[in-house]
Formats: sequence, structure tokens, C-alpha cells
Amino acid sequence: MEMVVVAPPALGKIEDLRRRFFATPLQALLSLASLAIMVFLVWKLLNWAVFSAVFTTSGGPEACQAAAGACWSVIAARWRIILFGLYPYDEQWRSALACLTVVVMTVLSCIPAFWTGRRIALVWGAGTALFYVLMKGGVLGLPYVGEEAWGGLALTLFIFVTTCLIGFPLAICLALLRRSGLPWISRTTGLIIDGVRSLPLISILFTFAIVLPFALPQWLVGDKLYRVILGSALFFSAYQAEIVRGGMQGVPSGQEEAAKALGMRYWQRVGRILLPQAMRNALPATINQFVISFKETSLVIIVGFFEILASGNAAYGTGEWRFAYVEVYAFIAFIYFIFVFSLSRYGAFLERRMSVGER
Amino acid sequence: MISGNRSSGPAVLIENLDKYYGTFQALRKVSLSVDRGERIVVCGPSGSGKSTMIRCINRLEQHNGGRITVLGTELNDDVGNIDGIRREVGMVFQHFNLFPHMTVLENCMLAPMIVRKVPRADAEATARRYLEKVRIPEQAMKYPGQLSGGQQQRVAIARALCMQPEIMLFDEPTSALDPEMIAEVLDVIVTLASEGMTMICVTHEMGFARRVADRVIFMDGGEIVEQAPPDEFFTFSRNERTRQFLSQVLGH
Repeated sequence: MEMVVVAPPALGKIEDLRRRFFATPLQALLSLASLAIMVFLVWKLLNWAVFSAVFTTSGGPEACQAAAGACWSVIAARWRIILFGLYPYDEQWRSALACLTVVVMTVLSCIPAFWTGRRIALVWGAGTALFYVLMKGGVLGLPYVGEEAWGGLALTLFIFVTTCLIGFPLAICLALLRRSGLPWISRTTGLIIDGVRSLPLISILFTFAIVLPFALPQWLVGDKLYRVILGSALFFSAYQAEIVRGGMQGVPSGQEEAAKALGMRYWQRVGRILLPQAMRNALPATINQFVISFKETSLVIIVGFFEILASGNAAYGTGEWRFAYVEVYAFIAFIYFIFVFSLSRYGAFLERRMSVGER
Repeated sequence: MISGNRSSGPAVLIENLDKYYGTFQALRKVSLSVDRGERIVVCGPSGSGKSTMIRCINRLEQHNGGRITVLGTELNDDVGNIDGIRREVGMVFQHFNLFPHMTVLENCMLAPMIVRKVPRADAEATARRYLEKVRIPEQAMKYPGQLSGGQQQRVAIARALCMQPEIMLFDEPTSALDPEMIAEVLDVIVTLASEGMTMICVTHEMGFARRVADRVIFMDGGEIVEQAPPDEFFTFSRNERTRQFLSQVLGH
């Protein structure tokens, strides 16, 4: 007799749902109860955020206080403070352009055509210079705006980008030094990395911003903003160095040997063979570190900088909008979400793309 | 700078070589002279020091005593000497060690371009010529991970040849391959041997040794126990350890 093998029939959507959520009476009851709670919560949220909310500034704060829902008019009224902080009102277009520069820079570096050392360096070098000129002015007829007046989103982005630009090469150097064959170099580097990692970021920022000027000669002190960025970059590099080192350990020793046997010198081996493979191994953890660093920029508030979170505090903190803090924080959370979520998606894209040769 | 073609004397001269791993002595007073165009096969039981010896020739291992002279240049701590020797000595590894993040073609072009400063177009032409020679020109745009073991090892041979080396070292080139792929790799090496390349090959393929070697070297316990032309080596080996080893590898 001939055996006929029949695959079990695929379940329909309804049948699948019934088996998952309504298999027994008790399960059905629990499912329905959970559904009811979810519907209730979503309804409450939508009611607050949309249906009963006030969107226009025409009624002023009073219209908001009368309404039951969210007061989005605070955003309409104060968005410029949130995004640009104390930056001079008439010059805020520069701050907006500077933010746009960072976004364009990031988007450009996502495009594989820009993935050569020279092009990436050009994009980031030129982009950062453009950002700096736009923000600071003093040339090309742009009025001068000192760093103490920078704020909001532009400041957050500036601190993040410069932290990464300084911290990332530093991290690679630290990771390479820690792999050194000379024990006194690798041990010293290990000590520095572990030392920095054992300190809270807040204490490092505080030291660089407040304590360092007393310890350093005057000509070495520089602006407080750059000292803070240095501290933040140092902190970033200590963590990132360990991530890079982990990635390097995943590269088989045969790779280094093959490169040596072909006559490649140390920096050629590092640049062409070791790092490209190490960075691929380290990519998920690296994206994670970028995300953490982006959010940690909010800590500079303690040394007196008005990055986006602090600017948000200022936006509702003055008089009439004092009651609307939830809406301001929701707005700021939304901005953080846009940046961090794009960063994560970019990381996922890179991972797919880099796994090409891995099969 | 090494002027390999002009300087006379042996291609590789090893004198009283000692190598220690910690307190373990891997090589004991090994001496070997390899002439230009000579084809040497090195065999011996595992742990006998054969891989260690050829890895000393391009400084993947640093020797602790004795002298190594490659193409008239002594291998010492002088980085210029080391780089110069590595440019002239190609190596093929047991586990291929292709660069997984580059295509086959890029694997073959990288070192000539950045080490020998060959222009890109020339490097590509050379790479395609050698890929043709190892009989896989159609795989040039693939990544190593997409190839079989035998194909990968042939790419590795092409990659080493693209540097136009004077000497080729093979460190058990077929030991990591499935049996049906061994022949395709050995064929490539045989062709290379017939063209007069100086080569030192560590292998257990005794049929191959008989076919291409000018001299077979048997190592055991970090020493060269016996060396002879293949006919003599396989038929009249005098040494007890050699005879035992041969009966083990030829026995089945």
C-alpha cells in the first residue's frame, strides 16, 4: 500500500486565536478581562492626548486649565525655548540649521557610497566645522554667540556628536594599547579603563567642569563646554574600548598571521584586517553604547548647561505654563525617541549589510 | 631591500635553530638548506616541530637560537628585514585564513596594492590571472564564506602568488579539507612545483611527496631525523622512527 504523507492543514486566523486565547472557559475569561483593561487604558490615553486636548495657543493657558485633556498649546507656545534654549531669538535659525547639519551628516554616513575612510572623515569634518561656524558665528557676517548661550536640541546634538568623534578614536587606541604585547603598556591601559569605568559620569563631568580649572594652568583650561565634552568623551571611550576589544578577541588569530605573511605592517593589519572584522563583531554593543551616550548628555544639566531636558524645564518653569510639565516631557521624550529609534534602525541596517560575507 | 633574483646562495638557510615555548623546546638545533627552485616536503608526527620550523622562516614564530637567512637576508629583530622577507615568502595555511569581509578578488588585490604599491588595475589583472591559474576565475566576486573548502584553499594560494613571491611555504594545506577536495588543491600545487617555484610543504600526503619533492624531510621531537630524495626515503629509510611513521601513514 502506498503511504501518502499529508502536511497538517494550516490553521485559519480565527482558529489560531481561539486556540491561543479561548481554549478553556477560565482562559477565555482572563483574555476578555485583559482586553477590556487594554481598551480602557488606550481610550483614556487617547482621550487625554487627542480628544479632550487643547492644540491652539489662542485661548492661552486659561483654555488649557479649563480642558480635561492634554495642553499641547504649551509646545506651540514654547517650542523655541525647548529646541534652542537661551540662544538669541533672532539667530535661532542658525541653531536649527546646525541641527539639520547633524541629521544630514548622519544620513550621509548611512549611505554605503560614503563608506571609505576619506569620505567619512570629509563628511564629519566638514559637517562638524559647519555646525561650529553656524552656532558660534563671529565670521561671515554672523553675529557671535558664545557657548554659554547655546542650548536645547542643538547643544544636546553637539555634545553627543563631539563626544563620539573624540571618544571613538580614543576607544580604538585604548583597545589596541590594551592588547599590546608589552605588559606595562597593557596593564597601565587596563588600569585607566577600569579606573574611568568605576567612576560615575556625574562625578567626571563635575570634576572636568568645576575642579579642573583650579588644577590646570590658565592657558590650558579652555571653555567649560569643551572640558565637559572631554570628560564625557573619556567616559565614552573607556566603555567603548572594552566593546572594541571584545570585538577584536572574536577575530581568529589566523587573520593576523595571514596579513603578516603577506608583508602587511602593523597599521595596515589593524586598519584593513583587524578593525573591520572587530567592528562587525562589536556592532550591536556599539549601537547600544551610542544610544546610552545620547541619553546621558542630559547629565550636563548639573554643571549648568541648558541641553534639551533643561531647556524643557525652563519652558514650563516660568509662570503661566507651570501646570503643563507632563506635556513638555512627553514632547521631549518624543524627540529622544526619534533620534534613538533611528540610531537603532541604522544599527540593524548595518548588521544586515555587514553580514554579507559571513555565510 | 631584498634583491632576490640577483643574490646567490641558498633560498633558505637554517642553522642550529632553537625554539622554546616557555620551557618546552619545540626545535633542537635544526639545520636545513633549501636551494632556489628546490621542492621540499616536510613530514613527521604531530608535535614534531615541522609547522614551527616553517613558521619561523617568515617570523610568525620568533626563534630563540641559531640563524635563519632567507634570500641572503638574515632574519633578526630588524623590522625592515622581516617586512622584506615576508614580501618574498608566500604562505598557505591549514585553515586558509582568507579575509572574510572582502571578496575573493579583493583578497588577492589587497597586499599587492598596499604592500607592493602596485596600481589597482595591475593588481586586478594579476589577481584575475592567478585565479585563472587556480581554476576559479568565476568566483572572483564572491565572498570566501560562499566557497567550498577546496575553493577557499585555492584562493589562498592565488592570494599568496599575487605577491609574486620567490618562495612558497605550505603549512598542511590539505589537512582541513574533505577528502574529495584534496586532489584539486594538490593539483594546483603540483603545477606550481613544475614551474620551478621554490617551495617548502608540510604535509602528510605521501603520494604528493613522491610526485613533486626533490627532498623529503622527516622530523620528530623537534629534530630533523632524516632527509633524502623521495625514492630513497620511501624505500630505504634507515631510521627506526621514520620507518614506524611511514608504516603508520602508508599502512592503509
